[in-house]
Amino acid sequence: MNACVAGFAVSCRGSRLLKKPARDHTGVSTLQREQELNRFFAEVEGRALRIAEIGVRDRDEALDLVQDAMIKLARKYAERTTAEWTPLFYRILQNGVRDWHRRAAVRNRVMVWFGRGSKDGEDYDVVAAAPDPAGRTPDEQLQSEQAMDSLGTALAALPGRQREAFMMRTFEGLNVAGTAVAMGCSEGSVKTHYSRAVHSLRETLGEHWQ
Amino acid sequence: MNERKDDGAQGTFAERAKRHFDQSVANLDGETRSRLNRGRQAALAEASGGRTWAQWAPAAGVAAAAVVAVVMWTGNPPTDELTPLSASADIEILLTEDSFEMLEDLEFYSWIELDEETDETLQPGGHVG
Repeated sequence: MNACVAGFAVSCRGSRLLKKPARDHTGVSTLQREQELNRFFAEVEGRALRIAEIGVRDRDEALDLVQDAMIKLARKYAERTTAEWTPLFYRILQNGVRDWHRRAAVRNRVMVWFGRGSKDGEDYDVVAAAPDPAGRTPDEQLQSEQAMDSLGTALAALPGRQREAFMMRTFEGLNVAGTAVAMGCSEGSVKTHYSRAVHSLRETLGEHWQ
Repeated sequence: MNERKDDGAQGTFAERAKRHFDQSVANLDGETRSRLNRGRQAALAEASGGRTWAQWAPAAGVAAAAVVAVVMWTGNPPTDELTPLSASADIEILLTEDSFEMLEDLEFYSWIELDEETDETLQPGGHVG
């Protein structure tokens, strides 16, 4: 009886001690977890946006998809280890891109492109027009932008899984295992998709693509 | 030998693609960066808001149940209360045996009532006119 009461008291005290600092199962406090999430998002958001943009060919849609992915990761997977966040985040983002394509297939594509076209060049962007911080000449900058445009167009023409594999491996720098988690497939499939993607891109862009 | 050469070409191609991609990320304009930042803050705020809601959800559920219980216990609005009471009173009257007898002798009771009224008017202190 006494042992039982003592045990109950210990368990109550233990649960109080666990609750007070508001820590998750990995022992990280909520505030610290939010700071880590903020750092992770800040580090990954630019690349995620460009990857989503290549996937949907629309910046506004890509911004929405990135924000949705951030919200879902923060809601559902914030308590996972930080090492798991990158593949999980890209898995959510890729699912968002795929859903977007399904919806777009139903909608009138012409209207989508018309909406995009009307927004181009609405405002003069001072920051975009500022000199390149890397010190490249306007010609070099233009050349790089054109090369990226060609790559983006070639990537958009690839089958979805090949595009995902290439972008995860090359742009985000995920290894085969991480890419497999992000794509929700086997590592063997990642290797196949990636290899095919590189072959197709090289053929499309040519050997002299800079 | 050929496979190794192919891997090397793939690597060079991937490096070049990565370089252009990184430059395109670095060239993102201020407005886009600002929108990304706002989206990040919104995501973090919503995430922490959602957690707070989840923490308070059981308490909110208990409070809502308590309010419903109190409302049901303390009664309904007066209009709703009167109707069933008067209806039940009518049924009670109709179901008693006396009421059937009263219906049978309706003429007798009418005569008594009329007689009482007549007596009142004939008495000196009665209300006249």
